[in-house]
Amino acid sequence: MPVWQRLYEEINDPNFVIICAAEDTGGEAVAGPIFDAAKPTYIQVVDEDHVISSAFNFVNVPSAAWIDEEGRIVRIDEGTYAKTHQIGEGDQAFTFGTDAYSPAVKDWVAKGAASRYVQSAATVAGNIRAYSFDQLKAGAAFRLGNLFRAHGHQDKAERYWKLAQELNPDSINFIRQDLTLTEEGSAGETFLKVMGEYASAGKEYYRPLDL
Amino acid sequence: MARNFMAYPELRHPFEETPIHAPGSTTVLYQGNTITLTHTGEGNGLLVTAEDLTRINGFELKPEGACYAELCVPIKDDMLVEQGGRVWFDLTAFAELIGQPYVADVESRVWSFGEIPAKRESMLVNAMAPDLEVKDRQGKIIRLADLKGKKALIVTWSSW
Repeated sequence: MPVWQRLYEEINDPNFVIICAAEDTGGEAVAGPIFDAAKPTYIQVVDEDHVISSAFNFVNVPSAAWIDEEGRIVRIDEGTYAKTHQIGEGDQAFTFGTDAYSPAVKDWVAKGAASRYVQSAATVAGNIRAYSFDQLKAGAAFRLGNLFRAHGHQDKAERYWKLAQELNPDSINFIRQDLTLTEEGSAGETFLKVMGEYASAGKEYYRPLDL
Repeated sequence: MARNFMAYPELRHPFEETPIHAPGSTTVLYQGNTITLTHTGEGNGLLVTAEDLTRINGFELKPEGACYAELCVPIKDDMLVEQGGRVWFDLTAFAELIGQPYVADVESRVWSFGEIPAKRESMLVNAMAPDLEVKDRQGKIIRLADLKGKKALIVTWSSW
């Protein structure tokens, strides 16, 4: 979150907004402190029902959409890190993200449609994941599960979250959100197995950044 | 055993069991909103008043059909059901007509509706931002349509 705040301050343009949305059923209790630590001045949303991911057919976080002054999407659905991140040290180090993303955003805000990072409507439309009826239905099932969980109806919460994962097996969000509620967590053995299956099926965990 | 990275098992059962709504009421979920209906018609589907239809998804009943902005969907005669001196709109039949998925837990009287395909065509074909509103952390409603004239970077993330 601090990197988005830094980018927002560096751009410092009244006609540029960042909407940063936590796709988090844990709600304010888990996402709030992370937001607060960044002292953000951009728009912050705690999206317990993953409504934004549903609206843009995002299957993973972080993902992003760039929307211009006319409401046209000019980039969408990429693994969106504001800088290169590293976990671990030495031989165990694992890096992800790229330092190229923030400069690309700055270039777009400065140059608008003339920015080389702006994509055509046809390219953007082609980059939006095609969702089946069942995948759209999965979002409804996920939200139904959330409602039951919030009211302590655990059996039904489990049933509808499981249904959501069956209807949209491409959604890493649904799988990992569920795994957070287990001892192994969202980055444990089950996640690694799912990642392996995802790759074997030729699916993109993140669409490669074309910057 | 030490807890693993990004594990919050204590959140699996965080809440006391409470009623979803008052007895006799119905809950509808759509695009992050939770709408409680105090009156519905009797039947297999979800029969709602014209006013509640608008509260749920913004559609209004007009002579030309069910309309949302410039989109008007002609409705079938059997979608308007007379019961108890009132006319009800069959929302589930309408969803099926327009290809909108839904999941219902009839026992608990909760209907959860997915995205309306016709509202998304301009995104899927012309890359126009979808019709979407969300609440920020302060409770202010943010509508993408209200951001016209500004560039917006929408980024998702998660704690997990």
